[in-house]
Amino acid sequence: MSVVVRRNLPQIIVALIIVLMVLFYFFYINADVSKTFTTADKALSDWAIVITAIAAIVGGIDILRYHVNQIRKREMRQIIFSCIVIVMEIIMVLLACYALSSGIAITTQPNFAWLYTYLYAPADAAMYSILVFYIASASYRTFRARNPPAILLLIVAIIVMLGNTSLGAMIWEGFLPLRDWIYNVPNTAAFRPITMGIGFGLIMLGLRLIVGKETTWMGRRE
Amino acid sequence: MDFGKYKTWIALVIFILLLILAAVSYQWELKVIFSGRYVPFVLLLVLSFAGYYFISRATEGKPIPVRKIAAFDAIEEGIARAVEMGRTVHFTLGYGPISTVNAPQYLAGLGVLSHVAKLCAKYGAQLVSTLGVPELIAAEEEIIRDAYYSGGKPELYNVTYNVRYLTDQQFAYASAVQATIQRENAGANIVVGPFWAESLIFMEAGAAIDSFQVAGTARETQIPFFVLAADYAFIGEEIFAAGAMASGDVETLASIRGQDIGKLVSWILIVVGLILLPIGVKLAEYLVK
Repeated sequence: MSVVVRRNLPQIIVALIIVLMVLFYFFYINADVSKTFTTADKALSDWAIVITAIAAIVGGIDILRYHVNQIRKREMRQIIFSCIVIVMEIIMVLLACYALSSGIAITTQPNFAWLYTYLYAPADAAMYSILVFYIASASYRTFRARNPPAILLLIVAIIVMLGNTSLGAMIWEGFLPLRDWIYNVPNTAAFRPITMGIGFGLIMLGLRLIVGKETTWMGRRE
Repeated sequence: MDFGKYKTWIALVIFILLLILAAVSYQWELKVIFSGRYVPFVLLLVLSFAGYYFISRATEGKPIPVRKIAAFDAIEEGIARAVEMGRTVHFTLGYGPISTVNAPQYLAGLGVLSHVAKLCAKYGAQLVSTLGVPELIAAEEEIIRDAYYSGGKPELYNVTYNVRYLTDQQFAYASAVQATIQRENAGANIVVGPFWAESLIFMEAGAAIDSFQVAGTARETQIPFFVLAADYAFIGEEIFAAGAMASGDVETLASIRGQDIGKLVSWILIVVGLILLPIGVKLAEYLVK
């Protein structure tokens, strides 16, 4: 594929979109034209949905390819999981196709909805709830009084934890206002420079994209 | 006529004209620029010109000092350690559709992946890259293939092994990444992109098998998890700077100086605002007018 199609054309499209977005954000421009670049008209967001839908098919094929490969390699530890993934993917796709052929929304197809509600959703919630154990183990590793900053972190963490529990209020009523002060003053003061820095980083990334200096996202360079 | 030599001057003229336009519009309320967006517009102009100026100076061959980012330098240490231990390198980018406000973070993550893949090729490490962004499968495949081929290690490239699309659903993705880190026994775990509640799951999965961990995100709520749980962390804007560093191109690197100018301007505004506050002048109110 030529360099023009592979490299120059995507660069020009990206640079043009960035410049137009900036122009429409700051300047008064004809309302009909400017709303093309907002969610009101949905012209760009509809394209994004179409591309995402096609990319999801590519993703589905990629998952199949990986797990079929695992089965072919006869990886005994992995084979059972790969079989489950392939069977479930095929079942969900078939149910979705059946729903479409019946003229109903995929998510309202009874079998599809049952699998989602009673299989996927509980597994998803279980994974989320596991976080509590991870927070405990990460806290155990992190909150060790090794040096002065670590001691400070430990003290602040204890105050915030006590401020978040009813036990803290039973010990001393001041834990809650102290927790709020930590959230609103030192915490906010620490976060704002990070937020501003992210904004500056984004501006520079945009500039590099406009002048064609940011090319890694396009993959192969030749 | 060679316009290349005059590019910086042309940029300066455009910059001054736009500044004049903003000033005139503000003074006479011409409704050229939306009210409340004057200061962001001027800041955008100043930063863009500063970045472009440094890029131009670097193009002319003048040295531009660029600050070091510890997490970026640590990636090489982590990969070398993984190779010494005979373990794989794991990289993950995040999940979800690319057409969101998180798109710049995916781009920054791809920049870091490019650097990681080149180092893996250099040291002969096996790289496993997991992702939940279907639009970026092809880009990741090309980045890793390019790195292994140009690094003289084409035998290490196996598309099914190196690039694994998992899912775009949060906790399904989180559990699959966790499983990959542990089953592949990753010696280095590099996590750069937009992350939500799954960030700590990845860090703990890596910590459980004693991985060397480098992580970064521009999502403020997840930065503390990475700072505490990873060996090295990119804090906020550093992931965008890392993308530029990964290119290894001095002109691209020079743009990072523009970010520093932005920080300097904001520091000056904060200090001036603090000085003016006791005499009853609220600078912030003028800035958002």
